[in-house]
Amino acid sequence: MNEKQTAKPAIVAEPLLPAAEEAVALLKSMQLIRAFEEQVRRLFAGGLVPGLVHLCAGQEAVATGVCAVLRRSDWIASNHRGHGHCLAKGMPVDRMMAEIMGRRSGIGMGRSGSLHLFDAANGNLGTNGIVGGGIPLATGAALSAKRAGRGDVAVCFFGDGALNQGLLFEVMNMAAVWRLPVLFVCENNGYGEFTAIDDVTAGGPPTGRGAVFDIPSEAVDGMDVLAVREATLRAVARGRRGDGPSFLVCTTYRYGGHHVGDRQDYKDAEEARAWRAKDPILRLAARLQGAGVAGADRIAAWQAEAEAIVAAAAEAAKAASEPAAEDLARAVYA
Amino acid sequence: MPEPPILDYRAAVLAALAGEMRRDPAVILLGEDVGAAGGVFLQTAGLLGEFGAERVIDTPISESGAFGIAVGAAMTGQRPVFEVMFGDFMTLVMDQLVNQAAKVHYMSAGQFSVPLVLRTAVGIGASLGPQHSQSLHAWAAHIPGLKVVMPSTPWDAKGLMAAAIRDDNPVVFFEDRMLYTRKGPVPEGELVIPIGLAEVKRPGTDVTIIALSRMVQVALDAAEALAAEGIAAEVVDPRSLLPLDLPTLVASVKKTSRAVVVDGGYRQYGVTGEIAAALTEEAFDWLDAPVLRVGAADVPIPFNRSLEALVLPDARQLAGIVAKLVRGLP
Amino acid sequence: MTEPLGRLTSLSIFRRMLLMRHFEEAVIRLYNEGRFVSHYHIYIGQEATGAAVLEALGQDDLISTTHRNHGHIVGRGADAGRAMAEILGRATGFNGGRGGTLHICDASRGFLSTSAVVGGCASLATGAAFGIKVNHQARVATAFFGDGALEEGVVIEAFNMAALWKLPVVYICENNSAGAVGMQGGGYPTAITATDSFCRLPAAYGIPTKVVDGTDMAAVYRATVEARQHCLAGDGPVFIEAFTDRWPGSNPLWPELATVTELAQAWEPDSIGGAHAEWIRHHDPLLRAVRDLLAEGHLTRSEIVAEDQAARWRIEQAITFAVDSPLPLPETAEQGVFA
Repeated sequence: MNEKQTAKPAIVAEPLLPAAEEAVALLKSMQLIRAFEEQVRRLFAGGLVPGLVHLCAGQEAVATGVCAVLRRSDWIASNHRGHGHCLAKGMPVDRMMAEIMGRRSGIGMGRSGSLHLFDAANGNLGTNGIVGGGIPLATGAALSAKRAGRGDVAVCFFGDGALNQGLLFEVMNMAAVWRLPVLFVCENNGYGEFTAIDDVTAGGPPTGRGAVFDIPSEAVDGMDVLAVREATLRAVARGRRGDGPSFLVCTTYRYGGHHVGDRQDYKDAEEARAWRAKDPILRLAARLQGAGVAGADRIAAWQAEAEAIVAAAAEAAKAASEPAAEDLARAVYA
Repeated sequence: MPEPPILDYRAAVLAALAGEMRRDPAVILLGEDVGAAGGVFLQTAGLLGEFGAERVIDTPISESGAFGIAVGAAMTGQRPVFEVMFGDFMTLVMDQLVNQAAKVHYMSAGQFSVPLVLRTAVGIGASLGPQHSQSLHAWAAHIPGLKVVMPSTPWDAKGLMAAAIRDDNPVVFFEDRMLYTRKGPVPEGELVIPIGLAEVKRPGTDVTIIALSRMVQVALDAAEALAAEGIAAEVVDPRSLLPLDLPTLVASVKKTSRAVVVDGGYRQYGVTGEIAAALTEEAFDWLDAPVLRVGAADVPIPFNRSLEALVLPDARQLAGIVAKLVRGLP
Repeated sequence: MTEPLGRLTSLSIFRRMLLMRHFEEAVIRLYNEGRFVSHYHIYIGQEATGAAVLEALGQDDLISTTHRNHGHIVGRGADAGRAMAEILGRATGFNGGRGGTLHICDASRGFLSTSAVVGGCASLATGAAFGIKVNHQARVATAFFGDGALEEGVVIEAFNMAALWKLPVVYICENNSAGAVGMQGGGYPTAITATDSFCRLPAAYGIPTKVVDGTDMAAVYRATVEARQHCLAGDGPVFIEAFTDRWPGSNPLWPELATVTELAQAWEPDSIGGAHAEWIRHHDPLLRAVRDLLAEGHLTRSEIVAEDQAARWRIEQAITFAVDSPLPLPETAEQGVFA
């Protein structure tokens, strides 16, 4: 991607490392997401994941950094590249993996798949098959949260492709007019499906799209989980105290293609290498080591732990049954 | 039971809205001009004053975004009633309605439901032209996960609106704007008519006229004219398309052996064809004639009054069609 | 005030304005006489904007407009009789009586289909501009819309693509929600928006913007000429926001104020009275145009009166034509659904 659409992170001091326990939790969350995505990629290659699946490897810092600030009663709405958001918001790994593999034990009864992972118990309004589809859902949840008056907020995650949906513009306007506690999080990974964002987007940095409504809009280094967390802390605090919506544009990178199996001919190999050098997991790991919070062996052990968790989930799902014919017409109506 | 008061259709729906808003604080109303203006047809007059701007919310002209917000609010504890000013503008909310609202319950395996009502005014007859006169209820009725209601009388409108608001599913509520000033008895206080029950509006033995919304009155007038010719037509109003009370329709057709289905929407690929096919499947052996479909002419609805009047049959024309069916098609 | 325009340009804009005004006054009269039903939208108060934009456009330029289209249609020189016939639903109307007030369209004058769905005109004009660009034509497309259209996401999507592809389209936002009544509510009584200036929206997409007083024909004309040059030079779209004070007769929703404008009020301000004296005195663009023409020495009072009589006569002829026109034949109802 060239520089035009890349939101320039404000020049700020290196974010402070939070308390050891929280910093480690951030790392473990990102490790789990990475391991999960690698597992799904292998399962897909092995023919065990039906349909199309969109992976978020490379973007772990955004899901983790945002959700670390949220509480269980806060809402999120996700998009097609949503595994990271779901895991970071607490979706059970085994039920999530089973869903992606189309098993009856999945969180959607195996009928919905990766594009439609819902988790009411953890405030998750679902991943979504329509670009931008989750944006109004989260904003509606923010309307409910405002009415309930308990200080809850809602977050919608969307990619740069959704920036050009008129829907986003409509919803941002209403969120600003009604001062709803919603946080718009754009994960700008440089590509909307198979097309570079610059090839389809006019104007200056995407933060301008929120600024026109006087929504506090911030460009964030989306490869730095600590920066994402700090920006989210500011935004969520505004939401909780009734100061309306916020907009974060997190610059990040999609290591894989639009979906597994995408040959990615449109990407430049040098570009991919440069982004991998900023890997969010390695970056936090290095800081933890530098600060003496954890050594390389403990970090490797956590990684192995994450891999074991997702492997076990995959094995359990493989052994699980598919939905039965009588599940076809179940729950069409409430 | 005392004689119920006479209300017009618009006031009946308004009474249901106000009643449900008093009963349940989760009920909120969103739409263009629903607040300060009281609705473009004055169908929400007075609600802002009683319930305040937190519950009666004027939206910008952003149908897609605003309806999507209503869906999200419905998933998280509200019971929104969302108004689409003209039925034609349903096209602007279709993604949110079809791909989100209708499917959330199923996709989440029952974790979420979407208890909302989309109400909209449809129908020809006001010279509103091609973008403000269509009746697109067949579009909604094509989608599993939605319920589709289209009452024909003030009484039904009140009872079905209350039921729609209490329903845990997305309900699309079609009001024919030419019915707004039609008057009829409406019980005071709580009135809830379960969605999915057809009603025989006039009994008869020779032919069944299945009619919806504004066409019910046309069918009743036609039945009156047919009675003078010695033909006893039964008029059945399904009242909702989804779910469709097929058993009641089939029972009527088994009694009369002939049926005409009349609807204000387009005839091609429309509601009338669906009902006719279902009757043919369920009651073929009882039928003495093909089931006829009478719908809107398959043209963009013209502005000009004399052309617009040709789009749907009046009672006299409908009586002619029915009489021909009963006496044997040429 | 903006630097005055030359005599011929001023006179041409003024003539367009007179036609618009008397056409709309006739529409209200005919409605009150029961000559047609339907809801309808009146252009009174915005004439200086439409007339000056139309004056600045070239003969081959394309235009898309909205539910409030009458002024644009007759101001462009389309046959007022056929426009009125359309409003009355007559067979001789531009759309054969099938479109009515909301959809009047004269393709021979460069009008695209007139959309009554808010915001629809912006994407139509953008598409027309796309065609102009790929065919390397020396013309521009123009979209007229109201402030409410800037609540529709489709308009924003069109901005993005127009800016990205540098399409030759001039967006004219006729913001008729300003003014004393509107400003009490925080600025935008008809629009529900979080922005303090609509220009910020296209600007976020890199589209140059210009704010003009919509009652100042010189300002609107010059802004449009400049925008058109920008488009023709291949530099992409331009957004113009023209502010006018809403005519009290269209407040809040239904036109009801039957009037006939007396131009003499421009030089006899004491003759202005009634409930709407304030608007007539300070915000009526037609009276302002008269004052400007007099001040600049372009026309004398008697010439103005003569121009007014000529315009009224043309509208009277249009009414006669429309009222005497036949209704469409019933057998035509199903014609023209497909090309």
